[in-house]
Amino acid sequence: MRKSRAAFALGLALASVPALAACSGDGGKETAGPETGASAGTAPSETASAAPEKEEAAKITIMLPLNIAETPPDTVEKEIERLTNTELTYQFFPADTYEEKLNASFATGSLPQVTYLKNQATFLIMKDAIREGQFWEIGPYLGEFANLSKLKPAILDNTKVDGKLYSLYVGRPLARQGMIYRKDWADKLGLKAPETVDELFEMAKRFTEDDPDGNGKPDTIGLADRNDLIYGAFKTIASWFATPNNWGEKDGKLLPEFMFPEYEATMDFMKKLRDGGYMNQDFAATSKTDQTNLFTSGKAGIYIGSMQDVNSLQKDLVKNVPDAVVDTHALIKGPSGQATTWSIPGYNNVVLFPKSAIKDEAELKKVLAFFDKLMTSEVATTMFWGVEGVHYEKVDGKAKELDDKERIEREVKGFKDSLIGEPETNGQLEAYHTLEARIHAEELIVENEKIAIHDPTAALDSPTYTSEGLQLQELIKDATYKYMYGNIDNAGFQAMVDDWAKRGGSKIIEEFNAARAK
Amino acid sequence: MRHAETTAGAMEHSLPMKAGRRGELWRRLRRNKWLYVMILPGLLYFLIFKYAPMYGLVISFQDFKPYKGIADSPWVGFKHFERLFTEPDFLQILGNTLILFGMNLLFFFPVPIILALLLNEVRVSVFKRTVQTLIYIPHFMSWVIIASISYVMLTMDGGIVNELIAYFGFQKVNFLLSPEWFRPMYILQVIWREAGWGTIIYMAAIASVDVEQYEAARMDGAARFRQIWHITLPAIRGVIVVLLILKIGDVLELGFEHVYLLLNSMNRRVAEIIDTYVYTAGLRQQQFSYSAAIGFFKSFIGLLLVMLANRLARKMGEDGVY
Repeated sequence: MRKSRAAFALGLALASVPALAACSGDGGKETAGPETGASAGTAPSETASAAPEKEEAAKITIMLPLNIAETPPDTVEKEIERLTNTELTYQFFPADTYEEKLNASFATGSLPQVTYLKNQATFLIMKDAIREGQFWEIGPYLGEFANLSKLKPAILDNTKVDGKLYSLYVGRPLARQGMIYRKDWADKLGLKAPETVDELFEMAKRFTEDDPDGNGKPDTIGLADRNDLIYGAFKTIASWFATPNNWGEKDGKLLPEFMFPEYEATMDFMKKLRDGGYMNQDFAATSKTDQTNLFTSGKAGIYIGSMQDVNSLQKDLVKNVPDAVVDTHALIKGPSGQATTWSIPGYNNVVLFPKSAIKDEAELKKVLAFFDKLMTSEVATTMFWGVEGVHYEKVDGKAKELDDKERIEREVKGFKDSLIGEPETNGQLEAYHTLEARIHAEELIVENEKIAIHDPTAALDSPTYTSEGLQLQELIKDATYKYMYGNIDNAGFQAMVDDWAKRGGSKIIEEFNAARAK
Repeated sequence: MRHAETTAGAMEHSLPMKAGRRGELWRRLRRNKWLYVMILPGLLYFLIFKYAPMYGLVISFQDFKPYKGIADSPWVGFKHFERLFTEPDFLQILGNTLILFGMNLLFFFPVPIILALLLNEVRVSVFKRTVQTLIYIPHFMSWVIIASISYVMLTMDGGIVNELIAYFGFQKVNFLLSPEWFRPMYILQVIWREAGWGTIIYMAAIASVDVEQYEAARMDGAARFRQIWHITLPAIRGVIVVLLILKIGDVLELGFEHVYLLLNSMNRRVAEIIDTYVYTAGLRQQQFSYSAAIGFFKSFIGLLLVMLANRLARKMGEDGVY
């Protein structure tokens, strides 16, 4: 019956009325079982046992999103249990519908002791509930745990709510972005890796006009971009122009990036690229798949985004162009002569500890002790890389994945995504790379961090931003694309920024400034 | 069984007079009990999945918080409806939705009927069946695939359509980004995907037309076209009207996925419809109450239009759906 109740809750949640699960009449439950079971059958949620037992010290139930199709087998889980002396219950739920599951569990008070969110956006939304005291504040306890104290203070600050810490974070490199380009084309045309944005422009131009693939036809372009201002090329190029990261300071006041002249300079740069035909003309409608295709088919020579994409891009590119050579590059200087880039807040996801499942301080400490053990080299490595000899092998003190990639994906990926901290803090083995361009990329990522511009609002709150920010951001996104396509000019862009301010933007500015003053 | 009947009979006697009608009802229920058992699953389906969730509409009058549930979330009256109606783009979004719906009705709705009539005239059955199967197939493709195919064909960066246009010496057309091309593109994709599937029901209706009528018409010298006009079409009129009303009921179900895939910054002016707006303004930021309010409003319009269409159908002498 428990199973059908969970299914019933889920079924209703899918009907976008999550709260009903809490108040559903008892009448329908028995009869509804089989039917709802069928509709909810897509979610492999049935492994979940609703209320975790709390008597036994080392029993911990963990709820987390799963980015692959199948629930992983317990190969890795068993190993972690052995190493940490715990009895773990992992409840994986598909990432696509994870938010609904979170809300349904929340409404029914059945969140387990350890609750992962999905990403930064869900964290933003959950802040409301955190303020209402639904989760344990863990800040005061961190000092008691040697390994947890290693977590980076700057990133912990980014995850604080009203100055208090409630969560542990899943770390990500701060600044992975840069360019991936066709080294063979550049060599052929006698171009070196661009040091400034002007040289980048020159490269895109010559990749388009000088027939770098040597087939005598004008069938190449410089840059391949897509319909994403953040993870596409735009934000990275903007950061090379020294545009603030989301928000910046002008005369002591926080203002959004698009109110800075550097943002406009970036739009002009992109407009010139497009007008000249040095990039794909339809980039405002190009998906990531189509963007990657432009690069891997040998049509485009520059890709700007996460440099860690180089492995997959290179792999697909040599299938089409066997003698292609790629390299990665970053640290590009803007007009000011200074190299700058942007950084993410340093985390990808957070873990929360619901008061509904963790009854007292003693139990909380037991759960935190588990996470403390997770941050030791052996356990962290197991969680991230799997079991030695089964999923990875040690080469030069680094971890090299074994050949059965599908098995690694199936058995390790689910756990890998939930490891807190980052290699520097949790001691996991570093990755062993063979691709030259990727090794270069990893070096550049370290360099990037030193020159990164941080988002000053990462730890600040604005209620208007939480409720309407994304919708308002669409206005700016539209205006930016329209400007780059020449549909509107400077005045038109300003008008749309004014519109943004009028519809709630000025309230966001006020709220962020007030939050910072606190 | 025997036993059950006797008790029921006894009950009937113990409740004289007043229970006369109830007794009658009871008897009928019992006589057709298997029929009632058979509709039970359907009834339950509607109760559980269509009626019970309606209770959730109350959250459109609350500031709903998942962890508080419906019982404890604060009531805010019409706040969310006010936000919707004062949204600067509200009229534009509603307009876009209605225009797309109108185009759907005008350009898409007749296509399956015409196709079915054409197919019905085909005498070589192998050819007919092959064509039928071929035009069904797109129905099984997801919008993601259709949107990708369109992208590959229409892009200015080497798409075949634009290459052809350029080959014949014309200016390339920015199909994917221009507001002018969004609606034609949407309708053509809908027709391509759904027209074949839509013919099934009409083909069935046409198949049930009495053959003797055609024979009689031929005797009277009616040509093919006359036969279609005076026999086939009137015969399937009822089906057409019912489908039309049902279609109108779906007025605002233009396919979130489909529109969202075609939507971009450059064509938002014409492409933002209520469904995509709910997504960006409501669901993506977990504004449950606001999303519910928009959904409520949408359903309300749908209901109005169905009632209107039904009344029209009755005026025209058809049965309608209720």
